[in-house]
Amino acid sequence: MPAQVLQALVAGLLIGSVYALLAAGFSLIWGVAHVINIAHPALAVGAAYMVYALATRGVDPMASLAIVVPLFFAVGVGFHEWVIRPAARRASELALVSMVLTFGLAAALENALAAVWGPGPRVVNVSYTGVAIRLGELALPVSHVAGALLAAVTITALYLFLYKTFPGKAVRAVWQNRDGAALCGVDLRQVTSLTYGLAVASAGVAGVALTLIYSFSPASHLTWLIFVFLVVIVGGVGSLVGAVLAGMLVGAVINLAALVIPFAWVPFLLFASLGILLLWRPTGLFRR
Amino acid sequence: MSTMLRVKSVSKRFGGLVVLRSVSFQVDEGAIVGLIGPNGSGKTTMFNIITGFLRPDAGDVEFRGRSVVGLAPFKIAHMGIARTFQLVRPFTGLTTTENVAAAILYGRGAGSVREAQKEACNWLRYVGLEDAIDKSVGTLTLAGKKRLELARALATGPRLLLLDEVFGGLNPTESESAMALVRRIRDELRITVLLVEHVMRVVMGLCDRVIVLDAGQVIAQGSAAAIQADPQVRRIYLGEEYGAAC
Amino acid sequence: MSRAAVAVLVGMLLVLPWVGAREYPLALLYSTFMYAAMAVAWNIIGGFAGYLSFGHAAFFGLGGYTTGLLLVHAGLSPFLTAPVGGVVAAVFAAMTGYPCMRLRGPYFAVVTMILGLIVRALVLNFPWTGAAGGLWMPLPPWEPLAARRVFYYAMLAVFVLTVLTARAVRIGKMGVGLEAIREDEDAAQSIGVPAVRLKISALMLSAGLTGLVGGIYAYDRSYIHPDFMFDLNLSVLAVLMALLGGRQSWFGPVLGAVVVRFVDEILTIWIGTEAARIIFGLGLALVIVLLPDGLLPHLVQLRRRVPRKSAGRPVPVVRP
Repeated sequence: MPAQVLQALVAGLLIGSVYALLAAGFSLIWGVAHVINIAHPALAVGAAYMVYALATRGVDPMASLAIVVPLFFAVGVGFHEWVIRPAARRASELALVSMVLTFGLAAALENALAAVWGPGPRVVNVSYTGVAIRLGELALPVSHVAGALLAAVTITALYLFLYKTFPGKAVRAVWQNRDGAALCGVDLRQVTSLTYGLAVASAGVAGVALTLIYSFSPASHLTWLIFVFLVVIVGGVGSLVGAVLAGMLVGAVINLAALVIPFAWVPFLLFASLGILLLWRPTGLFRR
Repeated sequence: MSTMLRVKSVSKRFGGLVVLRSVSFQVDEGAIVGLIGPNGSGKTTMFNIITGFLRPDAGDVEFRGRSVVGLAPFKIAHMGIARTFQLVRPFTGLTTTENVAAAILYGRGAGSVREAQKEACNWLRYVGLEDAIDKSVGTLTLAGKKRLELARALATGPRLLLLDEVFGGLNPTESESAMALVRRIRDELRITVLLVEHVMRVVMGLCDRVIVLDAGQVIAQGSAAAIQADPQVRRIYLGEEYGAAC
Repeated sequence: MSRAAVAVLVGMLLVLPWVGAREYPLALLYSTFMYAAMAVAWNIIGGFAGYLSFGHAAFFGLGGYTTGLLLVHAGLSPFLTAPVGGVVAAVFAAMTGYPCMRLRGPYFAVVTMILGLIVRALVLNFPWTGAAGGLWMPLPPWEPLAARRVFYYAMLAVFVLTVLTARAVRIGKMGVGLEAIREDEDAAQSIGVPAVRLKISALMLSAGLTGLVGGIYAYDRSYIHPDFMFDLNLSVLAVLMALLGGRQSWFGPVLGAVVVRFVDEILTIWIGTEAARIIFGLGLALVIVLLPDGLLPHLVQLRRRVPRKSAGRPVPVVRP
């Protein structure tokens, strides 16, 4: 029994690291630009399809990072410059408007993907699919470990950027206090563009990691959206660390729960936990 | 003369910061009482506790003999406590009339929407905003907004009015006229007033009694003259500046 | 709009099925009434109170599944049981609304979106509601044209009910309280507005009306499935229609619904469903970027501008 639990826990932490990466990028955009990017998981799914397309031509997912990362960074910056900035200028409630706006984009993307590849699930097979590492009684699929490692490395890179570099500190400053940062001479436009680029690029990486662990379909982004939102509610949008910890927690809890209850009932568990959480600590879980 | 408000050993902390330390005082019916103290001494926190927006960690607050700790803010408003806010918070999307009408409808639970709107005009006139009836809030100056908040508070039909730094930002003329208004409120409407203030001239000119808070503790209370002369108060708060100014 | 204009319009709508209107226009208007009712209902909590629900499809679906299940298992006509669907939705709203309304602004929006998604996932897995296979209901007993007429009137009635309710809320005491909550909830409490009670009441009204709509729709559809009964698209559409038409009035969302419905219809006819969805999504984004505060402010400006332009020369004044 304990081996089963341990297996579920480790598997949960592995997938949790991808949730964490996705949530980190999402929190970055929310915290820095006050935009709720509903399209974030959809972007990851888009990256997954890109990996799929490249994989059918024999390109390994890891190698496709070379295209995905710069491309998604550019998309992020472009999105900020040409979509968000005009909207922010005109809208009185950016958070609300951004939800409707990014939803529209997510829906468009989902339908575009479905138009090209159809609504069914896809899987990416690599040379090491099906191979597992054995650690004692645990059997860990190599591709899952690879995906988790990719996510972990990216999160670490983000962390180092935010905490050890000057532009990163500017991003954190804007995250904590937009007006205060502006008063200190931080160029809000540049910092926000940079943040967008990084966040969307991280969504791209999350998509690549995703292909190593799960199957995916155009509608997958909705399932991932639930997880991202959950992570944000549990961990808050105040910091990277919060998003990461919450991501691992959510991943672990879901996987452990799936041991005990049929997977079909997991949504009910989420529903109930969410309700209890909100009754007990509605404001306490939000880091400001 | 009965006791309108009795604060008994109220303590409050936020995390590691102790904001109120066993604070006790009372406000008699019909008085104008001032609550003064340096920034951060806990005055607005005290107001928030009295009006139900915060719960004290210890102690009790009695309004006309009944404890109000733990009651929802709207219930406390119904019991007869009204307040204004340090940073004015009028309903900016509504007109001046609508602001006050809301208070009549919900604060006193009186009448229909139409009746409330008619009565709102009377309150606006009472506070000197007859020229601003039915105008949007954006057209008011800061002094005007403060009067609006006051009208809104009065319209709920309170017995106790809490004023949070109403006089800050007012020029001497506005200040004088506001002081006269507060006296009228006490004399004509028979409303007891507890005010938090930084402007000393106002405190000394308006208040029957003054309570001094410093670092969350009451360090002195008494008549305005007695407080003025108290060396401890002078030292921590009034300093020599006031002596030079008067 | 003047009372006379409204009376004429309503009269026309009432008479339409009997002056030879065919199935297609009746169906188009039927769906317009449906969307308009949903938008107006949403606005009671989203516009008047300022609590933006992104999960209203949950109420729609609950209403639909309630009437569907009652029809399948008890043989009761949804025209009788639709109010029950509304009540189920309202009760669900009260239970979930109570914890959720402790959150404000974007956090509330996010939570309601999650709830909508979770409810969809839940019903998808419930064996008693047909799970992933959906729920098959007995067909309505009328032949096509007659059925179109019946549903036309049913949905028109629901639409009128919704509008009357929203209007009553807006101009009455409840509307004042909700406005105060929307503007500044704490200041509202300080003047005696029982915020929690009012918010939950508004949510229950909004949910109940939405459930009513869903209850009728299910009967017409005859086969219901979580994917379109609890569709996130529907939730966002409710928000969009109210945003577009203007959230402060009871009729703004009607305007938004009409625009959205007609644009959607035109796109679908010209381009086909799939491409239409893609363009709709992009178009939605574009519209929000250009007109984030909706159409109404611009229309109001248009009305104000024209008389000034015509000073000195008689020019036909444009009335929206």
